[in-house]
Amino acid sequence: MAKWGMVIDLEKCTGCQACTMACGMENSRLPGEHWQDVIFYNEGEYPSPQVKWFPRPCMQCENPSCVAVCPVRATYKNEDGVVLVDWERCIGCKYCMVACPYGVRFYTEEKPAYGGPDMKQVFKGEQGRSWNPPWRMPDSKEDWKHGVGVQPHDVVSKCTFCYHRVSKAPKGTADLDPSNPALREFTPACVVTCAPSARFFGDLSNPNSEVSKMIGNKNGVRLLDHLGNKPQVYYLTGVGGAVPSNRATNKA
Amino acid sequence: MDQSTLNPKITRRRFLQATGIAGAAGAAGLTLEQSGALNTISTVHAQPAAEKGGETVITKNFCHQCPARCGIDVYTTNGRVHAIYGTLDNPLSNGKLCPKGHLGTYLLYDPDRFRGPMKRTNPKKGRNEDPKFVPISWDEALQTVADRLNALRDKGESHRFALLFGRGWGAVDAGLFGSFGKLYGSPNIGLGHSSTCADGSKKAKLYTEGTYDYSAYDYANCNNLLIFGAGFLEAYRPYNYNMQVWGHMRTKAAKTKVTVVDVHMSTTGAAADRLIMIKPGTDGAMALAMAHVILTEGLWDRKFVGDFKPVVQPKDPDAPRIPLHRFEAGKELDPAVFEAKWTHGLIEWWNAELKDRTPEWAEKITTVSAKEIAAVARELATVKPSIALFERGPTAHTNGVYNGMAIHSLNALVGSLWAEGGIFHQTAKTPWGKLDIKSDDFMDDYAKSDDRKKPKIDGVGKTYKMASAQIQRIGEYHMKGDPYKLDTIMFYLTAPIFSSPECNKWEQALQDLYVIETSPYPGENAMFADLILPDHTYLERLQVADTYSFQGWPMSMIRTPAVKPVYDTKVIGDVVIEIGKRIKGPMGDYYKQVGNTENIIRAMAAGFAEKPGDNGVNDFESFKAKGVWYKKPVAYRQVRGEFLEWDKETKSHSLPMDAAKVKEKILKTPTGKFEFKSGYMEQEKYAHYIHEKHGIAEDRVGFPQWIEPKYSGSGDLHFITAKLPMAAEGRSSNLAHAIATAQPTQGGKRDVFMEINPETAAKLGIKSGDKVRVKSKTGSVIVPARVFAGVRPDTVFLPFYAGHWAQGRWAKADERIQRNSVNELIENVSDPISGLACYYSGKVSVEKL
Repeated sequence: MAKWGMVIDLEKCTGCQACTMACGMENSRLPGEHWQDVIFYNEGEYPSPQVKWFPRPCMQCENPSCVAVCPVRATYKNEDGVVLVDWERCIGCKYCMVACPYGVRFYTEEKPAYGGPDMKQVFKGEQGRSWNPPWRMPDSKEDWKHGVGVQPHDVVSKCTFCYHRVSKAPKGTADLDPSNPALREFTPACVVTCAPSARFFGDLSNPNSEVSKMIGNKNGVRLLDHLGNKPQVYYLTGVGGAVPSNRATNKA
Repeated sequence: MDQSTLNPKITRRRFLQATGIAGAAGAAGLTLEQSGALNTISTVHAQPAAEKGGETVITKNFCHQCPARCGIDVYTTNGRVHAIYGTLDNPLSNGKLCPKGHLGTYLLYDPDRFRGPMKRTNPKKGRNEDPKFVPISWDEALQTVADRLNALRDKGESHRFALLFGRGWGAVDAGLFGSFGKLYGSPNIGLGHSSTCADGSKKAKLYTEGTYDYSAYDYANCNNLLIFGAGFLEAYRPYNYNMQVWGHMRTKAAKTKVTVVDVHMSTTGAAADRLIMIKPGTDGAMALAMAHVILTEGLWDRKFVGDFKPVVQPKDPDAPRIPLHRFEAGKELDPAVFEAKWTHGLIEWWNAELKDRTPEWAEKITTVSAKEIAAVARELATVKPSIALFERGPTAHTNGVYNGMAIHSLNALVGSLWAEGGIFHQTAKTPWGKLDIKSDDFMDDYAKSDDRKKPKIDGVGKTYKMASAQIQRIGEYHMKGDPYKLDTIMFYLTAPIFSSPECNKWEQALQDLYVIETSPYPGENAMFADLILPDHTYLERLQVADTYSFQGWPMSMIRTPAVKPVYDTKVIGDVVIEIGKRIKGPMGDYYKQVGNTENIIRAMAAGFAEKPGDNGVNDFESFKAKGVWYKKPVAYRQVRGEFLEWDKETKSHSLPMDAAKVKEKILKTPTGKFEFKSGYMEQEKYAHYIHEKHGIAEDRVGFPQWIEPKYSGSGDLHFITAKLPMAAEGRSSNLAHAIATAQPTQGGKRDVFMEINPETAAKLGIKSGDKVRVKSKTGSVIVPARVFAGVRPDTVFLPFYAGHWAQGRWAKADERIQRNSVNELIENVSDPISGLACYYSGKVSVEKL
């Protein structure tokens, strides 16, 4: 059993969103269904403005709010520490979406926000799938029990830490390093493609894993840590990066 | 309706659904179980049975979505392409990709793609005229083209056929155009797009270093990167590698310091250590002032540039001491007191230009403080190795070449040329083989006739004496009949009707012409096309390419088809060959002997037998298996002012090169040095031309110098239109996945916003989200505004991305506010020297709607 976790070095992250695109491609996501999103925001006054970005996958919490509220036990934490949705059980009640403090869950029947024809109508679903894109992932990888593949209608979906890849990794692997040909195919898509190598993936329960060491050496921090969800995604802020703080919202 | 959350109605509906599904699946798993307070079932959705087969095949290809050509692994299972990743053992992609790289499957299966060749049946052409295309066979399509071309030839008017191209990949697409033009007899076959691309920077390097090419950069070893107007983390090639090396530069010991000079806060500017927001078109003034600081403070690299000759003091100790030579602001120097090493004309440049280019002078022009200019200059010269990089920001202006030369001169002053951690050029070519068929043997009397020596339609060499291309003028010249009218125009991967300045003027030209479009997708060209000859998408092609300058050593790559063509398409190279076969006379025989592009590629790959790549690629099959051939390292290096060649024996740059060899191989200028006084520009034929165009005295034309940019258009705001990271060679604006992800003005998705400074917005009564009309004397565009403190108050920024009015259903969706190209607002003005379109010299006015 591993306790998979991710470390994202914000000093290296260039905000390119290749993680978002790779995730969408690997996991047959609908446009805008960004399991792995990058949030942009700006502030400050000319000529000293700030533009920042923040990559945000599912935090795969140790104490996941979503699991606690799921009325049908469709969402669960598996033995390797990954929060998954069993699409065969999910009733699409969206309690989990309300409960999640990180906004990383997606309801299939959301109206498309991208404009133009609805992709679900252009590539109509068959055999219970909510849509059927020609680039759909291989059937052999589809796994509804673990929320992998093209989902059925009316369910909630989320980042699986690329369960269909990671779960095939040799037992006892400390780190999934995509530059190692032997481990590359087991590494989550966003980590594989990240051009500046800002993402690291490994076993948090192994004190000798690179991710564990990095969190220690570089003062890894977690998003909204005060909520007590204990994310398994850590951020390294270095000099240039920052984890968003709570901030006042503009009220008209 | 029952809204009880504890007893949701939906559960009952699902129960019924599930019963049906589960029944079909054999009534398995229908056990009821307790789950908290709710009764539910274990299966509400049953996963479909997996299809048979399932073997995943990886084919090698290279990406099509920018010039970089990253090697990619294309994953195909059961005939479906479902994933694309960077190739791990490819030295450019290193297993990584940029966001665009993952769009390939959507491009392949784009539901708006053309299904096969078509001809127009509606003779009327216009933005709102349905072409009423009807499908035709490839044979009819190719014969239609051949008949037109044969007819033109019969009339002695073959020059009236033009083929314009954008992204040329290599020998089996753009590489075919030259011999086609020669055999057919038209100077207009294979007119390139470099004048709407990067000719400003390439020409600046030609005039100073003697090489007309992009630079290669050793970013990994540089400690200081100064970027003038290039989207290093957005659109600058090779974007993917730039990001890879960014991760390294920003976390290595002695972190690379990055300064960005731009007109707004791009992601590159935001990620950098220092962003300098400069007035558009004035980068050259800043660079000249930096050179002034580097010289007056004695910070130049003496081993590369040279130094003052020693002052011989009088032997008499009582005689007054002669002061040491130094650069003092405003004071001229005698060229004889300086001994140059690898540079030419420094003192002349100082006297003619630099001595007065103080930071205080530059502050008034650039709005950048003198203090900051001096700080950047000191840093560039002392935190080394350093690179001054520039692209279209400074060069897409009427003074672009001089801006570029001024910036590039900094690289010479600090000794970065060919240094480790510096900037250099490609040094060797791929040892391609050749088909043993010589096109010259197939030229008939018609092709050889002096009547064929017609001027090109783009005015290159005539109106534009120093330019390499002038694609943006072709529509205009055709309309004027200057020097003649075209008859037929064919487009390959370019659409000046959307991407050229004053692009809308092309609509008139294309109404007037027989238009052949080769894109597999609907677009603005296609709306005006008479014939559609759809190309394969890149995942369906067999195609080869050479690298753009990357790290100096040669690299070539191959595309192998991942799937059979999804539709009835044909790769451009074979289209050219097939048309050629149908031309009467020996030209037809030539193309019959060539056969097809695969024959060419196989012959080319045979060249690897004698020179296998570092990865062992030595023939066609191993090339296909690896996807790339390359041979490291770069042949030459400059180390502390000495040029050294790679020694195979010692595996080091250790063979000294004499001045003659440096001139032949590296600094290919008239003097064999880096020229602060450009001999190329001083040639009589050019000096007079430059004098006419810019009013510069002929004896001054060769110096990197400040001339005022001429802003075009009309209005009080500068209008800048750079590309976005998601702008995938023009097609991503029809991809729902890209649209949902693109971040124009950092934070938008779906819509493209115009950035406007809060102060300017307040004056105009504009709030974020307001619809505004942006107007110049050449056109207008309506867009939503975003009030953003990261743009200069005198500038608005609108990315070159949206507004496609004839692409597919997503690009044209009702939700899109922007309905036309930003280029309609940009006056068709070119830098008279480089010929580069002045995309960033336009001025506009903005009004709230």
